[in-house]
Amino acid sequence: MKNLMNKHWGKSLLAIGAAAVMAITLAACGSSSKSGANQKVQITFWHGMNGVYNKALQGIITDFNKSQDKYVVKGTAQGNYTALQQKIMAAAKSKKLPTIAQTTYTTVPDYVNQGFITPLDPYMLKGSDKLTSADKSDIYSTFLTSSKYDGKYYSMPFSKSVRIMFYNKDLMQKLGVKTIPTSWEDMAKLGKQLKSKGVAVVGFDQSFDMELDGLIHQAGTSIVTKNLKVNADSKKVLTATHVIWDMIHNGEAKTAGSDFYGDRNFTSGKTLFYIGSSAGVSSMKANAPKSLNWATTPLPSYLGQKGTELAGNDIVMFKSASTEQQKGAWAFMKFLTSKKETTKWAEKTGYVPLRKSAVTSSSYQAYLKQDPTAKAAVDSLDFGFQAIAFKGFTEYRTDVLNAVDAMLTKKQTPEKAMGDLQTSVEKIIQENK
Amino acid sequence: MINEKPTLKSTGKALLYLLPMLVITITFSIYPIINSLLMSFYKDYNFYTDKVGSWGLDNFVYLWNDPDFHLAVRNTLIFVAGVVPITVVLSLIIALLLNQTKWVSGLFRTVYFLPFVTSTVAIAMVWNWIYQPDYGLMNYFLGLVGVHPIDWLNDPHYSLLALIIMTIWKDLGFNIILFLVGLNNIDAGYYRAAEIDGANAWQRFWNVTIPMISPITFLVSVNGVIGSFKVFDQIFALFQGKPGPGKADLTIVYYLYEKFYTEYKYPIAAASGVVLFGLILLVTLVQLWYSRKHVHY
Repeated sequence: MKNLMNKHWGKSLLAIGAAAVMAITLAACGSSSKSGANQKVQITFWHGMNGVYNKALQGIITDFNKSQDKYVVKGTAQGNYTALQQKIMAAAKSKKLPTIAQTTYTTVPDYVNQGFITPLDPYMLKGSDKLTSADKSDIYSTFLTSSKYDGKYYSMPFSKSVRIMFYNKDLMQKLGVKTIPTSWEDMAKLGKQLKSKGVAVVGFDQSFDMELDGLIHQAGTSIVTKNLKVNADSKKVLTATHVIWDMIHNGEAKTAGSDFYGDRNFTSGKTLFYIGSSAGVSSMKANAPKSLNWATTPLPSYLGQKGTELAGNDIVMFKSASTEQQKGAWAFMKFLTSKKETTKWAEKTGYVPLRKSAVTSSSYQAYLKQDPTAKAAVDSLDFGFQAIAFKGFTEYRTDVLNAVDAMLTKKQTPEKAMGDLQTSVEKIIQENK
Repeated sequence: MINEKPTLKSTGKALLYLLPMLVITITFSIYPIINSLLMSFYKDYNFYTDKVGSWGLDNFVYLWNDPDFHLAVRNTLIFVAGVVPITVVLSLIIALLLNQTKWVSGLFRTVYFLPFVTSTVAIAMVWNWIYQPDYGLMNYFLGLVGVHPIDWLNDPHYSLLALIIMTIWKDLGFNIILFLVGLNNIDAGYYRAAEIDGANAWQRFWNVTIPMISPITFLVSVNGVIGSFKVFDQIFALFQGKPGPGKADLTIVYYLYEKFYTEYKYPIAAASGVVLFGLILLVTLVQLWYSRKHVHY
């Protein structure tokens, strides 16, 4: 009996020992991989790109790694944007942040506040590898403006899209609509005519927050101004909100609801037009029936002004990276925004090119000829704008989405919903001062 | 072995056997629980450097005054009250039926168990389609009995009901299996004795089956209450990362998630977790107290 028990003892000790050895080797594996790449400086890059987008990005990363022998960029897809944000948060807590990551420029103030990221100024504005003034005027100014926070550059633009309008040519002919409305005023008129025919003139995604931002911008203001003044219940904002809200409540426009994207209502002929992201062109191509005769155009004007909100992601650099890594990371960011790479990126994904010279390049022009649906996005770039980022922006965005949602699902009036928004946003700004 | 006196050596040995589980439980459950309890009292807290400015009850005051949190508590309570009783009764009925017919019951057991082993996201996608207002199955069947189409996922009046229905369907399988185990463990002698005494089927069910499976009923309802209080993934998947139309499906855990991940208000998230813990504890204690009288082991 005793002998047997000793055997058991021995076994369990052996098992514990084996587990310990395994744990140690695993831990060692984890730490040794850093120095494994032949003295080259390793730059880790976390992003939220999937499918074709991930493939295109991997192609660019491979190009960069081949183009020089000092740095190696290792890109890791972290799932979608939400998952990416959560992983950055967890990595910041456990002090294991990558060198660079994709993120929206609107999270920059929060990241700066929490001390995660470092300004790009030392590399972007000084030194041998800086952006020349020719570079700076070549990149669309709205992208660079939104990269700046508190007087410093914190991000480089990367995957950017605009809102564009899709239209159904066959349905237009059937309904006897000869011209595409070029203003929201005309759109509203057309909506009244089409209502009796059972077709909504325009469809949105689940929320119309981006279109609302656009109208408010075209009216010459914004919900939160540069000086952090909140305008949610101002006359201009309310009038702009009514343009969309009135159409929806008269049944002349439609949001996607639980379909999430408005392309389903559009392809099934429930809406004549659909306002969505230019990055949605590729999914429209994949999902729309082949027989559907559709095309794209820039958004209508409002009060005689044009405007479309730019969305998408930038790349930021984390403070925790070494100086060598930061240098390499900057070289990679510059490479990404170079004329050649941004053209390639745009052609492969449907995101917009970041440089004017890329748009006018023969390669991209040839691409536009081949695929005219991409033209609306590029044509919109000149009047594209981006929201003003501030501390607490993520919370503000949630509140805007809630306000729009309340107008849609609880049928709140713009006066009520935007009035509530005014109070809550004022509170956010107060708390983050 | 059982009668051996505990010695230093045997205690040490027992500890060694328990060690793996203890290490896991302490690092992944006990330690986080204590930490989040402490965090709920932090003021001026930097999550990343772990610097605490001061301590206080401010986070709980914030929750007390936040209409969103009130809504979350209300929705959670409605959800629990809607899901648990129906799940218990329905799964008992189905288990009884399965127990009656021996043939094909294997097949049906598998069928009912499938939702339990299927990923929530996949289930939510299917239900998203079932609830579709224009071509969904739900409205089709309701249409057959003359009910007007309902916009399940976009109408704040129905979206919580939609969530409850989906959750009941998802939870049935596991509870049916538990009840089947309980039913099989009842000694057939009790039924025979009751029959000899002249009890009819209903009396046998009420006086033999119900008392004999009461431990399982207790287990299922305690499990159900705790699980339902913690509801989150179904909402996230069914409403694609939103707490339903007009926040109609905002629950306590969803509230916690929003505070933590989108608003960076970590101590408030921790405080809402503590409130949830208190609520679950309270309800479970009431259930325990009730079980003293009505559960027969």
